[in-house]
Amino acid sequence: MLSAAPLLAGCGVSMPADPNGTLQEITGGTLQVGVTATAGDEGDWVRLQPGAEPAGIEPDLVRGFAASREATVEWTGGTEHELVDDLEHGDLDLVIGGFGADTPWTKHAGMTRPYMKTKDKRGKTVKHVMLTPLGENAFLLALDKFLLAQELQP
Amino acid sequence: MSAGKSTQAVHFGNTRLPQEQRETLRKAKKLEWITIAFLAVTVALVYLVLGNSQAMKAAWIEDMLSFLPPIAFLVAARVIRKPPTEQHPYGYHRAIGIAHLVAAVALLVMGTYLLVDSALGLITAEHPTIGGVELFGRTIWLGWLMIGVMLLIAAPPVFIGRAKMKLAEKLHDKVLYADADMNKADWMTAVAAAVGVAGIGIGWWWADSVAALIISASIANDGVKNLRGAVSDLMDARARTYDNAGPHPLLGRIDDFLDNTGWVGKAKSRIRDEGHVFHVESFVVPREGSTPTAEDLEQLREDCVDLDWKVQDLVIVLVPELPEEFLPGVETGGED
Repeated sequence: MLSAAPLLAGCGVSMPADPNGTLQEITGGTLQVGVTATAGDEGDWVRLQPGAEPAGIEPDLVRGFAASREATVEWTGGTEHELVDDLEHGDLDLVIGGFGADTPWTKHAGMTRPYMKTKDKRGKTVKHVMLTPLGENAFLLALDKFLLAQELQP
Repeated sequence: MSAGKSTQAVHFGNTRLPQEQRETLRKAKKLEWITIAFLAVTVALVYLVLGNSQAMKAAWIEDMLSFLPPIAFLVAARVIRKPPTEQHPYGYHRAIGIAHLVAAVALLVMGTYLLVDSALGLITAEHPTIGGVELFGRTIWLGWLMIGVMLLIAAPPVFIGRAKMKLAEKLHDKVLYADADMNKADWMTAVAAAVGVAGIGIGWWWADSVAALIISASIANDGVKNLRGAVSDLMDARARTYDNAGPHPLLGRIDDFLDNTGWVGKAKSRIRDEGHVFHVESFVVPREGSTPTAEDLEQLREDCVDLDWKVQDLVIVLVPELPEEFLPGVETGGED
């Protein structure tokens, strides 16, 4: 079955595909990213500073991914609720904000593979993920590949 | 109803299976254990790659439900070996009917649940999200693994099902038959799930829900079919063949045999299917002028029991004429 992958790819069928063509749109275009600040001392995931681009581990990763796709990043701030809503309606391509794999948003958003594991202050393991639009599988796989290729240390 | 009733202890519940059936039972048990082992591997494998696909979820639940018939069969095969007791004068044969009913209800309930769940997914246009997975240091699409696992597990149940089908006929076992029937159709579930995932792969988000709908419809259909069979057996409907295709031929054979006995004028039986064995009540009208003795009756009873291994519990009732109240239809069509 693993041998079927290149076979099909050779026929010009790319699997998986995006029903809404997200990956194609952002490649050489604009990556719409929703950011929400993470407060607290568990990690420097997303830091928002007035008058400057978002900083932290996740914005850096997003910039890296965008660069690999020759995309420019457009940042949108907001609450998790607002951002996930935008994501669901196709206004955003990606939402970051220190989300864990146990995020309650999974009915409204897809998520990447955990790209890093840390422990929170209660000693519980947190698997860090980013949120993507539901069903945009080519985009998700491209992002997964990028994230899992990074050598990330907590 | 007194003259014909045998007073001596007959071991109905002791499995007096002929060599062939004993052999078949042994094989059937072995096959059911193989099925359970195969299912355990399947369920674990599918669980690992389950992801967000509704079709995969449906297929996985079907695999879980597929445990029920083999377990029901193995439990029942143990229980029905018990000889009848004071508390259970008819023996424990009905265990198989109960097992059948339980399995049928489980199938129907789960099938219906999945049907609604999948339809909702389709109506609300849920786009199934399947991302990457790390395998041997490379990140590949999880969908490929799903398709691979489904195709891998598609074929074996078909062969197991075919083998069980043959045994079900010899054993006259409807649970085994239902199980074999499900196994035989199992490849469609696996292929449907694989197609659903492939559909997601090429960007048809709805393919997954449609595949799930097909799978759940087949589960629910299995449930309905089995529920009908199980209920009609528990309701003492006329004995039918193992696949419910028609009335069981043994019915006619017993009556023919009785009719061809010298002192018998007219005879008609009613049969209850107890699972593997039949309980038979034969009403016999002696030929005019003949006065059968208790020995004659016992001889006839033993001869009937020798007709087929399934006939174990048989009572002969001497009657002046065939009673319509016990033999519906005897006046209209049943007389020979």
